[in-house]
Amino acid sequence: MLCRLSDLTDGTTRGIEVPGLPFKVIVVRRGERVFGWRDLCPHYAGGTPMAWKRDAYLNGAGTHLACHAHGAWFEIETGVCVQGPCLGKRLTRVPLRIDDAGAIHLERPPREERP
Amino acid sequence: MNIIGPDLLVFGVDDVPACHEFLSAYGLAAQDYTPEKGGLYLALDGTGLEIRRRDDPSLPPALKTGSTLRLQVHGVTDQAALDAVAAELGKDRQVLRLADGSIRCQDDQGFELAFRVTMRQRLELEGEKVNAPYNPARPVNALGVTQDMPATPRTLSHLVLFVPDIEGALGFYRDRLGFRITDTLEGAGPFLRPQANPDHHTHFFIRTPPYMQGIEHLAFHLGGPTELMLAGSRMMEAGFESFWGPGRHKFGSNWFWYFKSPLACNVEFDADMDTHDDTWAPREAPMGPEASQAFLMQWRQKWAPGGGPKG
Repeated sequence: MLCRLSDLTDGTTRGIEVPGLPFKVIVVRRGERVFGWRDLCPHYAGGTPMAWKRDAYLNGAGTHLACHAHGAWFEIETGVCVQGPCLGKRLTRVPLRIDDAGAIHLERPPREERP
Repeated sequence: MNIIGPDLLVFGVDDVPACHEFLSAYGLAAQDYTPEKGGLYLALDGTGLEIRRRDDPSLPPALKTGSTLRLQVHGVTDQAALDAVAAELGKDRQVLRLADGSIRCQDDQGFELAFRVTMRQRLELEGEKVNAPYNPARPVNALGVTQDMPATPRTLSHLVLFVPDIEGALGFYRDRLGFRITDTLEGAGPFLRPQANPDHHTHFFIRTPPYMQGIEHLAFHLGGPTELMLAGSRMMEAGFESFWGPGRHKFGSNWFWYFKSPLACNVEFDADMDTHDDTWAPREAPMGPEASQAFLMQWRQKWAPGGGPKG
């Protein structure tokens, strides 16, 4: 489980460390829908983390995910960059599912690290 | 031209309280702050940042790219220097003389500029002193570090801009305003220092497509590498997020630690930058990880080895 739907108020974000993944998973709630994105801004090859402090991924108006290195804005629902250095690129989606008890999970567990 | 460098950078942001939280933690002193209007954030010598709402009508117009940097105010040594800048730039553009004595114009790429007789107050603070074998710099019994020692930004050091036309920028800053190129990262751009400032750079330009034009980062000088390590560690412990560092750059030799910020650009601590004069021969190196730093480290939580498996 990443977190519970009830942990997230509408328009808040969390950056969650997942064992086996080399990046945090950004979880954003919009109403009853939840979106998951890799915490990797596509400005630089390989991606860089985007928050300015723990869990702070949104722009001031709360309308977009933002990379706080250089001000890129991404649509919360599609991950597409609409302003900033990676204009036209997009975040990588992390598919999520919400179970009957309101717990948010990765749709697929991360692959085991190969030695 | 006796330009010293940036005295004040003015931003139009979309989350003023977040910027206040960040810049206060970074160590700048807030002045006249309100959540509605923003405020001034000053280093020890009076240089600093002005934070306003993006839609504040007192701000100069924004670049089309949405960059939050709205105005660069550069300090010059005296009134004669200010008049010289005004005379030079007045040859081919509108230069406004404002009631506060400053002058206003744009550079060739649309960045808004002001120049004024500098407001910097000279600091009488010592820099960090290092005890080397046979050559101690600190008096006996003087401590090198304490957990609660101050690590406060002393002065605005430099800004780095994403710039579509590097040749055009050189034509303006080097050929019109007399900046010196100190070094160049090929594929990115030049480091520049104005004539009245020996610091390796007050400006660095990175070539980008036009849709990226804006500020890449800004930096304040600390008193030395220990202050930089302490200031950055305090940010990490408080939950702020590092972008790059700590490490030490090659060009300029400055220690660095960059943090992402709600100003929509990185904000850097730097320390112990080289100084140069006109006898310096500029270097060139291809932009990349090797040229960008002598070494790079990553912060971790405090840890200590104990006595063994059973403690």
